Amino acid sequence: MSQEENITQSLVSQFGFLEGNIRITRPRRIFLETSLENFPKVFAHAVKELKFNHLCTITGFDELDKLAFMYHLAQESGVLLNLKTSVSKDNPTINTVMPLFPGAEIYERELVDLFGAKVNGLPLGNRYPLTDDWPKDQYPLRKDWKPSQLDEKEGHTHA
Amino acid sequence: MHNSDRFKIPLGPQHPALKEPEGFSIALMGEKIMGLDIRLGYNHRGIEKACEERNYLQALYLVERVCGICSHAHATCFIQAVEEIAGVQLPRRAQYIRTLIAELERIHSHLLWLGVAGHEIGFDTLLMYTWRDREIVMDLLALVTGNRVNYGMNTIGGVRRDISPEDIAEILKGVDILEERTKYYIEVATQETSIIQRLSGVGVLTKEEVLRLDAVGPTGRASGVSRDVRRDDPYAAYGEIKFNVITDDHCDVYGRTVVRVKELMESYSIIRQCLKNLPEGPLTVKVPRKIPAGEAISRYEAPRGEDVHYVKSNGGEKPERVKIRAPTLANIQAVKQMLKDRYLADMPIVVAAIDPCFSCTDRVISIAEPKKDNRVISWETLRNYGIDWYTAHGIDFTELNNKFRKKLERV
Amino acid sequence: MAGTLFSILIFPGLLFLCIAGLIFEYVDRKAYARLQNRVGPPWFQPFADFIKLLGKENLMPCAANPTMFNLAPLFAFASVVTVFLYIPLWQTKSSFSFDGDIIMILYLLTIPTLAFFIGGWYSTSLFARLGSVRAVTQLFAYEVPLFMSILASALLADSWSLQKIAVYYAQHPAYCLFNSVGFAITLITLLGKLEKAPFDIPEAETEIVAGPFTEYSGKLLALLRLTIDIEMVAGAALVVAVFFPFALMFSPVVGFIVFLIEVLVVVLLLSLLRTIIARLRIDQMIDFCWKWLVPLALFQLLLNLILKGALS
Repeated sequence: MSQEENITQSLVSQFGFLEGNIRITRPRRIFLETSLENFPKVFAHAVKELKFNHLCTITGFDELDKLAFMYHLAQESGVLLNLKTSVSKDNPTINTVMPLFPGAEIYERELVDLFGAKVNGLPLGNRYPLTDDWPKDQYPLRKDWKPSQLDEKEGHTHA
Repeated sequence: MHNSDRFKIPLGPQHPALKEPEGFSIALMGEKIMGLDIRLGYNHRGIEKACEERNYLQALYLVERVCGICSHAHATCFIQAVEEIAGVQLPRRAQYIRTLIAELERIHSHLLWLGVAGHEIGFDTLLMYTWRDREIVMDLLALVTGNRVNYGMNTIGGVRRDISPEDIAEILKGVDILEERTKYYIEVATQETSIIQRLSGVGVLTKEEVLRLDAVGPTGRASGVSRDVRRDDPYAAYGEIKFNVITDDHCDVYGRTVVRVKELMESYSIIRQCLKNLPEGPLTVKVPRKIPAGEAISRYEAPRGEDVHYVKSNGGEKPERVKIRAPTLANIQAVKQMLKDRYLADMPIVVAAIDPCFSCTDRVISIAEPKKDNRVISWETLRNYGIDWYTAHGIDFTELNNKFRKKLERV
Repeated sequence: MAGTLFSILIFPGLLFLCIAGLIFEYVDRKAYARLQNRVGPPWFQPFADFIKLLGKENLMPCAANPTMFNLAPLFAFASVVTVFLYIPLWQTKSSFSFDGDIIMILYLLTIPTLAFFIGGWYSTSLFARLGSVRAVTQLFAYEVPLFMSILASALLADSWSLQKIAVYYAQHPAYCLFNSVGFAITLITLLGKLEKAPFDIPEAETEIVAGPFTEYSGKLLALLRLTIDIEMVAGAALVVAVFFPFALMFSPVVGFIVFLIEVLVVVLLLSLLRTIIARLRIDQMIDFCWKWLVPLALFQLLLNLILKGALS
């Protein structure tokens, strides 16, 4: 059995609800989706038990009425586990993963700025990557955002 | 400022130590750094958003422009993900050529870094020497790809240019010279007292901290973390090539220097193997006209560390989502740790030691358009925009412009 | 009277020094460039830079103290020009001389650093202030070994007059060899005085932009740069006069040429040193001066004391 299948097996045996939600797209690539309430368990298990100890990055998605987040975790062996979870746009609140990965701070700030996610537990600090005077409620990576919105808001005086 | 015993020094967004705009605000007590505040984002250009507005081929060229130095890294990383979604198996010759360019790029980047490091510690001689030798590899890149930077070698399903036997001879010749020079730099970097004085013990990042903060590339490897995507998650032709992953346990800037110069030697060996085993065959394969729906994540060991691109396709003309994580973003967070209790004089070299590339880091957004719905800004508009801006700030160039115009008319 | 004015204003005073300073700047820059594998500037580059800067606008930060900001470069300039009048060039007589002038010369050479400090401090820019503090911190480190090694040479010659020291060594050229340690120390500390690598800490570009000079522009910057050029010539001339004043052994014209060649050698040595060493940190610099240079200078003093007894 390949190492990817081993990992999948271990995950499914631990968390029955993952059955059918795991895809191996090619050697060293595992994609899996989970609901928000199950996410912390699965995430912690992957990091602590399965030794996925390197967080590559977090990708945000705008999926119509939901915001989705994909955490790309890597193992020493080169296997990538892509954990996806989603949250409603009305209250897009997720918990920070900084206790496990202090380096995730900047990735989470990016989600805050570009997708309008709310991240519980993120310490105060500079925003990234947008400017301090960026208009509120404008999240550039959401699908409905157009650069023209920025002009309307600012009234563009060039000065 | 007078009453407090702390100075607050702004390093950036514009500062001679930084080649790109990025803000560091340092609280100083005497010469000692008491606190550091990093503000990123000045180079945010909206590339991720812009990719969603373009088709895959256009996006490829855009992504190549994420960074001027590791352009091949970003282009390859992106295109690997697209090819994975399309289910394309690359011809072996194309894989070898990609690997070759990747290593040439690594040489150019590491030599550039060595020079910048020299400059940051006030050793301009090293800068002049390494940048002179860097011209050799720049010429080779120009010979093979036609460009010194932004090579444009990749296309979906292969590479765009072949290399001829003459090119191979030239590259081998250049690599021989570079190897000689690199041996000399290894000697300089490991034996010259004033360099060692300035580098060792500076910017310490222990192995545990590397793992905790997810530092990548030479920054991590210099702390004894053997992490290299080329070996762990092989792409292109790396699976068929023998090379060592260089690590060092100095954990400081000196270690990072040693790792980089030794990696240069590995790159020469990889290039020689690539050229020796260069398979015959086509350069591209046929790719379905439409990229099917799907998602893929691609990793690539750029000169600065692990580069990650995620691409999601919805089966349409344009990618649904493109996510780029450049190595600097992973490393910049370690800088705070490295500068704890250090001196102001160490600041430039510590920042430089992660080989920061803020263009890469900041990729995304902010299109300030002078006029609405006018995506392409004509030269005239841009010029007027500038004039308006200065006039609004009380600087009037009208007279000067008129003079200039008259002069032009006379010619 | 006319002769005095001539020596102050034209030769070997102001005019000669300005030209010599710019020429030696060219020599330094060209040598530095060639050693780094670069082409380097054309011969007129320092003149062109100087003239260009003279034509530029003088800008001053609003918060700066105008008196101090404007006067500091003048003080620095005046003091380095004065130094040269006391250095015996090609004849046994310098333009002005008295017993104890070597002490005055050393103090005059300290004034530029203090003037840079004042100028930088009162320009109120953060970088300038930090650079100023560094300049003075550095001063306390290199000044002691510099004084000691020059005074060691004076001790052997048994005089506090630069002219008499020079004459002494011109009469006993072999004795110069005794001072070789002092010569090396002087050369190194001179790099600190001139704020050149590895001691360019006060104006470390990658950390604090241009240090004390950050806010200077236009004519004042031109003056500051000229001051540093002249300081280099004066420093090199001082080294020549104290450690190998062989020019005094020849007829005036030949002697003058020999003198220039000697100064050239010192300037080239300075360029070489700054090519091959990386900039130190301020703490390393102070450590180096106190742990290595001062003991060596003490050794030189002791050696000369013993020699003086043995030779007389």
